[in-house]
This record gives sequence, C-alpha cells and structure tokens, in this order.
Amino acid sequence: MSVSQTGFTRQTYERTVYAVVGVGIFGLLAGLLLDQQVAGTAVYLVGCWVGGAIAVLAPKFTDATLQDERDNDLHNHASGLTMRIAMLVGISVIPALYVLDAGGYVELTATVWGGVWVASALFLLYGVCFGVVQRRR
Amino acid sequence: MKNDLPDRRERAGLSQADLAEAVGVTRQTINAIERDRYDPSLDLAFELAAHFDCRIEDIFTPD
Repeated sequence: MSVSQTGFTRQTYERTVYAVVGVGIFGLLAGLLLDQQVAGTAVYLVGCWVGGAIAVLAPKFTDATLQDERDNDLHNHASGLTMRIAMLVGISVIPALYVLDAGGYVELTATVWGGVWVASALFLLYGVCFGVVQRRR
Repeated sequence: MKNDLPDRRERAGLSQADLAEAVGVTRQTINAIERDRYDPSLDLAFELAAHFDCRIEDIFTPD
C-alpha cells in the first residue's frame, strides 16, 4: 500500500513535519527552562532528525504530489535572496570590522568574531556549491 | 504570462485539485498559475496543453 492510499496528503505531510520539528524545539526550550538540558537536547535532536527524515523520505514513498516545481522555484528564489542579503551585509561590514579592529579603534568580542567566521564559512560554502552546480550544468 | 486556464478548467468541469492531480502538481501551483503569480516550466506547460488537447500558446500568451 502506498502512502497516498493511506491519505497522506501534502497538507498532512507539511503538518506532520512542522509538528515533529516543533515538538523538538519545544522540548529544547522546556529542557532549558527546567534545567534538563540533556533531555531537552535529546528531544530536539530526535525531533529534527525524524522531521527531516519525513521531509526527505515521504515524497519518495507516495504517489501523492507533496512537492513540485513551484516549491523548488520558491526555494531557489528564497535561497538566492538570502545569499544576496548576507553578501551585501557581509561584504560591507566584515572588512570594515577587520580594519577597525586592526587599527585599534574597536575591540571585537568573541561573539562578533564567531559571527564573522560563520558568515565567512557561509560565503565559502556558497562558492563551493555554486562551482559544483555550474560544473554539473 | 497571461493564461486562460481558469476558463478552460471550469469548462472542463474540473476543480483546481482535479487539474493538479491530472498534471502531477499541487493545487497551490495551479492556483498560482491561474492568478499569474507563477510561470510554469516548459514541461508543465506541455502537460497542461496535452491535458486540454491544445497547443501551449492557446493557453499561455506573453504579457
């Protein structure tokens, strides 16, 4: 019996994924509030992995159309917009931070440096992914 | 692109969900096409034209 025969529609699919991941996030927050960090983290990880598995695997095991070309189009546009904003902000801010820190005008905190490294890693990852996609087309 | 998909679909007595299932996309995609908010891929345009037994340019016209 295919998943679609069991009534697994796009709506059910989306609600299931959001609900499972939501339980994980709620578990993490509850763990932090109740001083049960390990339990909260475990619930979070299970929620993310199970939600992710359902998101990826469900479309492969059903005849129902859970995702289509418009979803891919929306994803591509949202990803492009995110990277354009990140690059615009990153390129204009990060070099300035380096120069101001090197010149002794400001002292960047560890948190800011963490943000700089994350942004740098994101740009590097984007470049690698862009190169891979370009070579495959 | 403009299209006359709503008229064709209604003349055929189909709901958006029926048409979506027939051409293998979601109802939201058919809705977005009908509202001129999404231009379908060439593959999907061919599917729609084949479903209504007409040419792509009979359904879709440039703005």
